[in-house]
Amino acid sequence: MGEAEEISSKQKQISISEFFEKNKHFLGFDTLQRAVITAVKEAVDNSLDACEEARILPDIRVELHRTKTDELQMTTQDNGPGIPRDAIENVFGKFLLGSRFHAIRQTRGQQGIGITGVVMYSQLTTGSKTHVVSKIKSDSSAVYVDLGIDTKKNKAIKSGEKRDVWVDDKTGEEVSHGLRIRTLMKAKYQKGKKSVYQYLRMTSIVNPHASITLVVRDKEGEIVEEGQWLRTTDKLPRVVEEIKPHPHGIHLGTLQRMMREAQDRRMTSFLNNNFSGVTRRAAKQILEVAEIEETRTPKRIKAEEAQAVVSAFQTVKLLKPPMDCLSPIEDLLIKKGLSKAIDSRFASTVTRNPSVSQGNPFQIEVGLVFGGDIAADGPIEILRFANRVPLMYQQGGCLLTKALESVDWKRYGLDQPGGTGIPKGPAAVLIHLASTNVQFTSEAKEAVSFDETVFDEIRKAMLEVGRGLKNHLKKSSQRKKAKEKFELVNIILPEISRKSSELLDREEPDLAPVITQIMNAVFLEEELSWNKEDKLSMCSITVHNYTARARAYTILAKWPEGPDTAMSYNPTGGRKETNGLWAWRLDTLDPGTSMVLEFGISGLSKGEWNETDIFFRGNGEIIGATKMDENLLEEQRKTEALEAAMEEVRKKENDAMIETLAIKPERVPDASGHAEQAEVLLEEAPPPTGEWRFGMEGDDQ
Amino acid sequence: MSDAAPRRNKEQVVEALHDVAAEMHNKMQRGDPPRMTLPVRSKSNISFDNRLGVFKYGKKKTVRDATSLGSARQLLRTLHITEFIEEMIDNGKSSTLREMYYISEAWGHGKFGTQNESNNLAEDLEIVTKCLREDFKLRPEEDGARIIGNITVEERNRRGDWMRINCRDDVGDSGYGVPYNVESEKLRLVDEDIDFVMAIETGGMFDRLIENGFDEEARCALVHLKGQPARSTRRIMRRISDEWKKPIVVFADCDPWSFRIFASIAYGAIKTAHISEYLATKEATYLGITADDILAYDLPSDDLTKQDTGALEAELSDPRFSSGYWQEQIKLMQEMGKKAEQQSLAKYGLDFVTDTYLPEKLDAIGLGYR
Repeated sequence: MGEAEEISSKQKQISISEFFEKNKHFLGFDTLQRAVITAVKEAVDNSLDACEEARILPDIRVELHRTKTDELQMTTQDNGPGIPRDAIENVFGKFLLGSRFHAIRQTRGQQGIGITGVVMYSQLTTGSKTHVVSKIKSDSSAVYVDLGIDTKKNKAIKSGEKRDVWVDDKTGEEVSHGLRIRTLMKAKYQKGKKSVYQYLRMTSIVNPHASITLVVRDKEGEIVEEGQWLRTTDKLPRVVEEIKPHPHGIHLGTLQRMMREAQDRRMTSFLNNNFSGVTRRAAKQILEVAEIEETRTPKRIKAEEAQAVVSAFQTVKLLKPPMDCLSPIEDLLIKKGLSKAIDSRFASTVTRNPSVSQGNPFQIEVGLVFGGDIAADGPIEILRFANRVPLMYQQGGCLLTKALESVDWKRYGLDQPGGTGIPKGPAAVLIHLASTNVQFTSEAKEAVSFDETVFDEIRKAMLEVGRGLKNHLKKSSQRKKAKEKFELVNIILPEISRKSSELLDREEPDLAPVITQIMNAVFLEEELSWNKEDKLSMCSITVHNYTARARAYTILAKWPEGPDTAMSYNPTGGRKETNGLWAWRLDTLDPGTSMVLEFGISGLSKGEWNETDIFFRGNGEIIGATKMDENLLEEQRKTEALEAAMEEVRKKENDAMIETLAIKPERVPDASGHAEQAEVLLEEAPPPTGEWRFGMEGDDQ
Repeated sequence: MSDAAPRRNKEQVVEALHDVAAEMHNKMQRGDPPRMTLPVRSKSNISFDNRLGVFKYGKKKTVRDATSLGSARQLLRTLHITEFIEEMIDNGKSSTLREMYYISEAWGHGKFGTQNESNNLAEDLEIVTKCLREDFKLRPEEDGARIIGNITVEERNRRGDWMRINCRDDVGDSGYGVPYNVESEKLRLVDEDIDFVMAIETGGMFDRLIENGFDEEARCALVHLKGQPARSTRRIMRRISDEWKKPIVVFADCDPWSFRIFASIAYGAIKTAHISEYLATKEATYLGITADDILAYDLPSDDLTKQDTGALEAELSDPRFSSGYWQEQIKLMQEMGKKAEQQSLAKYGLDFVTDTYLPEKLDAIGLGYR
C-alpha cells in the first residue's frame, strides 16, 4: 500500500465512526426512544424485503427486553430465506448508505442506513456483539455467528462462528429457513404515538400479507406491551422489476458515471441500452440535438458534451418508463389492513394509476376510514408510508401531509377549523407513496420533499376518497331520515289515532291515506350482508312505494366487478349496464306496496364489500337512491373504452420495443407511430374532471 | 282591571281540551296528517294591545302537524297530557310540572325529552284552550319572590285558615315568601303603610337594602325578583299596583337580561303573552341601573360577551323595546360595549346605594323622600 493510499484510508477510518457519531440524528439514533424504533425498523424492513424477494409469506417476531436502565436487548426473527454464510459479513458489516440508488425499483431498504447501523450502534453504546443465527433451506444446519464492526476497515469482524441445528424457542421445531438477530443497545422503550408498537401496527396495515408479533418486557421479565397483527391476505406483493433509469431524472454526475462504466462502444447503443424510454430513434435525436456524433464512445465524452446530452433529454420526445417496477398495495388490501388496525364504520380507498415525475415512476394510494371507535374530538390520524415503510416523524414538513392539508375537507364532511390544515373528526387517512425514487427533505428520511406532480396526484386521490366519504355521510343522513319517517307512520301516528279516538270516544280513522300524504315518496333501503354457507356477499334492496300513484323504476347497483368476482346469485336477472354497474327493471309498484331485490357476489371474503351505491331511472325521487346521471354514465363508458384502447396501444408499444431491441430497424417507425397514436387519443379525451381516471396522461411532452 | 283571571269549571276545561284532540282526529278522518294550530310564540308575533295597555300575541298562527317525527311526538304528548289532566280533574288531584315530567316516563313514545319540553307543552295548551294552568291542576316548580316592607296580607294556609301576616314585623330576614297562587281565593291584600314598591333583581342587593334599613327609611316594600320573575311574583305586583295604587320601580343590573326582566314586568313576557293582561304592570318604572348611570357614576364595568351583544341586537327589534327611551339605552350600551352589576355601586362604600344613588334616582322620578 502506497503512502497516499494509507492516508486516505486512515481518513476514511476516522470518518466512519465519527460520521456515525456526528450524524446520529439523521441515522435515527439521536434519542434513546428513537434508537429502538430505528433498530426494529431496519431489521423488520430487511425481513419483509427478503421474504418478498423469496416469495415467502413473512412471519416476524420482535422481542424487546429491558436489561437495565436505558438498555434494551432486541431480538428479531423471521422465516425468510436466511443469509448464506459467506454473505453475512457483507450484509451486516457494510454501510450501504446511498449505495443502492442505481437499482431503480421500489424497495423498503432504500430508506435506511441498513442493519449495519444497528450493529454499529450496539457496539458503540454497549460494546457488545450482535448475535446472528441464519439458516438457508439448502444447508442442513444454521450458522451462528457474533458480529462487530471494524471501524478502521469498515467491515464486519466475525467471531464465535459455529454450525448447529436451530430449534425455535417458541414452537420447539427445527427452523428450516430464517434469520434471527439479537443485539444489546442503549435505548429506552416508550409507549404511544411514536413507539415500536405504532411502527409495527402501521407496518402491518401496508403489509397485509405479513404476520407480526411484538413482546416488550421489563427488567423483571413482565410483559409491558404486546401486539399481534395477523396476515389478512395470502397474496404476496407482486414481484417488482428493476428498470433502467429514465433520462428525465438523470443528473450530470450520474450520466458521467454511467458513461465511464459503460461497455457500449457507440453513444446510440449506450443511450438505447442503459435508459428506459429511449428508442433508437430517440437516441439518434438526442445526439443530434446535443451535437454529438453517434459513433462516439461513451467513455470519451467530455463534461460539456455530457451537459448537452442532459439538456437534450428534456427536449426530445421520450416514452414513459415502464410501470411494473412499482408494487402498490391495492384498494382492497388497504381496506383490509386499515380495518384490521382501526375499528371503523366506513372505509374508502383509492389506488391511482402510476404516474411519472422527473423520470421516476410513482403511484399514490389513499385510504380513509371514518366513524366507529375513532375519537371524534381531535385532529384526524395521518398514516404516512413510502414504499410500504411507515413515516413516523416530521409529519408537518411532509409532502403527504401538505397535500392532505390542501384539501377543503369541509366539503366532504370533516370539520376543518379555519378552512385549512389537518381536519378534525372521527377519521384516519392513510397515504402511500410507491416510487422508485422517494425524495426526502433530509437524510432522516422521515418527510417526503415537495414535488408538484406527486402533490397533485395525492390531492386527486384525496378528493376521490373525500367524495366517497361525502357520499357515505349523505347516505347515512338519508337513511336516518327514512328511519324517522318509518317510526313516524308505523308507531307514532297509530298511537295518535288510538289516543285521540279514546279521548273523544270515537271510531279510529283509516290511516292509509294519511300515511301516503305524510310520506309522499318512494323509499329505498339497501343492506349488505355475508352469506356464510355459500360464501356470497349479499345485497338486499327494498323499495317501498308510499305515494298515491303506481311507480315503475329501473334500479341500478354498483358492485365490485373484477376478474375474481362474479354475480353468482341474481334471481331478478337484469343486465350489465357498464363495468361494475348492474341494472334491473322492476315491475310496477302499486301505492302502499313494497318489493325486495336480492343479489349475491362470489369471489369476495367477509367484510370486503361493505358499501354500495344505488341509482334509479324513472319519474319522481327515490329517497335512498340517486337518480342516474346519464351523461356521467356515458362519460364513464367512454373512459373505459379509452382505457382499453390505451392498454392495447401500450401492449403494441412494448411488442414494438422488444422487436426494436431484436434489431429490426425497419420496425422502428412503426413503434413511434404507435406512440403518436396514443397521444392523439389522449387529446381527444374529454378534459379530466378528476372524477374518472385517465391513467398516465402525458407529463413528459 | 283588578279582576282575577277568569276561571272555568271542570266541564269547560275538559271540553276545551277535547277540542284540541278533535282537531287531530278530524284531520285524520279526512285523510290528512293530524295537526294542532297555535299562535307563534316569538317576538315577531307580539304587539301592543291598546285596550289592555300590554303586549299580547298577534294573529300569526303556526301549525304543528305530523309530517315530521318531532312534531308528531309533540302531538302524541299533547294527547297524553290531556288524558292526564282529565284524570286529575276527575280525581281532585294536582301535580307539579316536574311531577308530570316524571309521570311521562310511562307514556312510551309520548315521553318528554326534557322538562323544558313539558313546560312548553303545558303553556301551549293554556294558549290554545284559553285556560290557565291552575285549571289544569298543574303547579309550577318556580320559586316565588320574597317581600319585606310594611304591608299586611292574609294568606289561606294548608288547613284552610286565613293567616294575617305583616311583611315587616311577622317575618325573619328572608322576608315573606310569595306562594305560587296569589289569586284572591288564596291571598288577600289587607293593609299597607308604604309609598312605593321596589323590585330588586339580585339577592345581594335585596339584603344590602334590608341591612341598611332602606324599607323603613324610604317607606317602601322590597321585592326580591330572583332573576326572571315567576308568574306569581309578577301577578302580586300587579295586584298591589291595581288594589293599592302604589308605584312599582325596578332596580336591576345594567345588562340586556335585566332589560328583559323589566319588560316582562311592565309590558308582558313573550312566553306568557296570552295572559299579559293579568301579569304585566304597565305602570312599572325602570329605576336603574341605566346605561348612562355607568358613565354618570363612573361604575366598574365588564365587557359585553358575545351572548350579551346578540341579546342587545335582538332587543333592538323587539316591539316591547321600540320606545325612544329603550332604543337610546340599548344603543348606548352597544356603543360602550360595557355592562355593570347593581353591586358595583359598592365601589363608593356599602352605604352609597342607600345614601346617594337611590335617593337621587327616586328624586328624579318624583318619588323623593328626603
